[in-house]
Amino acid sequence: MMGVVIIVLVVIAALFVIVSGLWVARALIAAISTNGSLPEAQNNSDEQNNHQDT
Amino acid sequence: MHTVFSIAIVAAYVVVLTFVAVRARAAREFAEFSLARRALPLALVFGSLAATYVGPGFSIGFVGRGFNSGLLFLGIGLAYAVQNILVGLLAAPRLRALKNCHTLGDAIGQKYNRDCQVLAGLISVGVCAGLAAVMAKAGGGVLRDIFGLPHWSSVVIVVGVTALYTTFGGLRASVITDAFQFSAFAILLPLTLLFVLLFHLDGGAATFAKEASAATSNGFGTTSYIEIVGLVMAFLLGETLIPPYANRALASRTTRISRDGFILAGIFSLAWFMVMIALGISARSIIPQGTIEDDVLLKLVKSIMPAEGYALLLVVLVSIVMSSLDSLLNAGAVAFTQDIVKPFAKVPDNTALVIGRSATIIIAAIAAVGAVAVPSIISGLLICYSIWAPAILPALIIGLWIKRPHPLAGILSMGIGTLVAVCFQFIFPSLTKVPAIITKVPAIIPALGAALLAYVVGHWIAKVREERK
Repeated sequence: MMGVVIIVLVVIAALFVIVSGLWVARALIAAISTNGSLPEAQNNSDEQNNHQDT
Repeated sequence: MHTVFSIAIVAAYVVVLTFVAVRARAAREFAEFSLARRALPLALVFGSLAATYVGPGFSIGFVGRGFNSGLLFLGIGLAYAVQNILVGLLAAPRLRALKNCHTLGDAIGQKYNRDCQVLAGLISVGVCAGLAAVMAKAGGGVLRDIFGLPHWSSVVIVVGVTALYTTFGGLRASVITDAFQFSAFAILLPLTLLFVLLFHLDGGAATFAKEASAATSNGFGTTSYIEIVGLVMAFLLGETLIPPYANRALASRTTRISRDGFILAGIFSLAWFMVMIALGISARSIIPQGTIEDDVLLKLVKSIMPAEGYALLLVVLVSIVMSSLDSLLNAGAVAFTQDIVKPFAKVPDNTALVIGRSATIIIAAIAAVGAVAVPSIISGLLICYSIWAPAILPALIIGLWIKRPHPLAGILSMGIGTLVAVCFQFIFPSLTKVPAIITKVPAIIPALGAALLAYVVGHWIAKVREERK
């Protein structure tokens, strides 16, 4: 029983890691499809980009 | 045929990485080079943070620890997850809220004074170079396994390629290539674990639980309590806000993204450690007992996968190393420019960019040369943690939270913290007359205590002086 619980937790952790990888891959594709200009950031107002002083 | 496929996999990886790096564009001003114009979205902040901390220690090292010590290191890893979440809740948003701040040294300079900034800059550059040397050693080792090259030339290739895109693209290239590398290892290594659990674990869950229990007992039997306390401290504090993490906190688009990025990275670290430890435990019934810790992951994959799968894993391991190395090179270069050069000379933006790029190359060269002196991956990392935490954290964290921090307290804390850490790490163990009880204490504990005490004393002296005036 203990073994089954551990294996289930391990599988959930593995799936979480894989989903994280896919999420970041999606963001990467969005970033490089606009030649690295990080489009999500540029579509926001100054209020949202708080303290963007550089 | 196997060789052809293996080479094709490595070549495909290099082509995609080059494409991603080229798409990241060269930085045209120092603000782009140092902070990617403070425009990073949550997914990239999180991916880059995770890609930076998942280095060889948290992959190869953790699989080896799982193999020998079972779940013990999952408990120790928990301290790392807690650290990231606490940084997200307490420190990262405050850091991000500071204006005109490019580095941790900048933050310390704003809270204390220029001298503190320069000292923080020197410590930052030193720690980045030290950690980069550990990554260079690990990357060289993996590349040597792929191509059978001499170790020195493997180190030069890994460091050279990483330095190339970091020098031109700065933080944005580092973050974007990190995202690619993160995606590669975050998808492929858990898939390897699921493959092992489904097809290679004879006896199923019962065998896994039995091996986990045996390994964990072995771990507690071979690790003293003082060592466990030292490891928990190192994982809790040693990597806290090291320069590449601080750069990502500062480069986030908003304070909220800065906070959420660290919290997510903390949660992710726990899942990641579970996957790595589980790979190590699974390996116990597949590869011979007594296998060297750093070889467990490679031997496991070699014994269960065809040559192409092994080549793919090696490529993933190079990714893991490069994603940490590029962040360290960029953070060291930015700290050098911002905290060591700029306080003494008013440099135009173009010159700052050139200095940053040159510093990237110099730190990369130091890392390549220093890789020879690194004892092992885990011990190399622990040495850097032992110095970083006492040298910077008390001054930084207290400085971010109290209203009027005194420069004397900052200088004393950073100076004494560094000195005590170096003494306990390098000098006392080599002296024969020092009692064994002192040499066995992990350096981070007395050094952190000394740094905190020095801070309190410095603060008190400065306050008394002020009152007399």
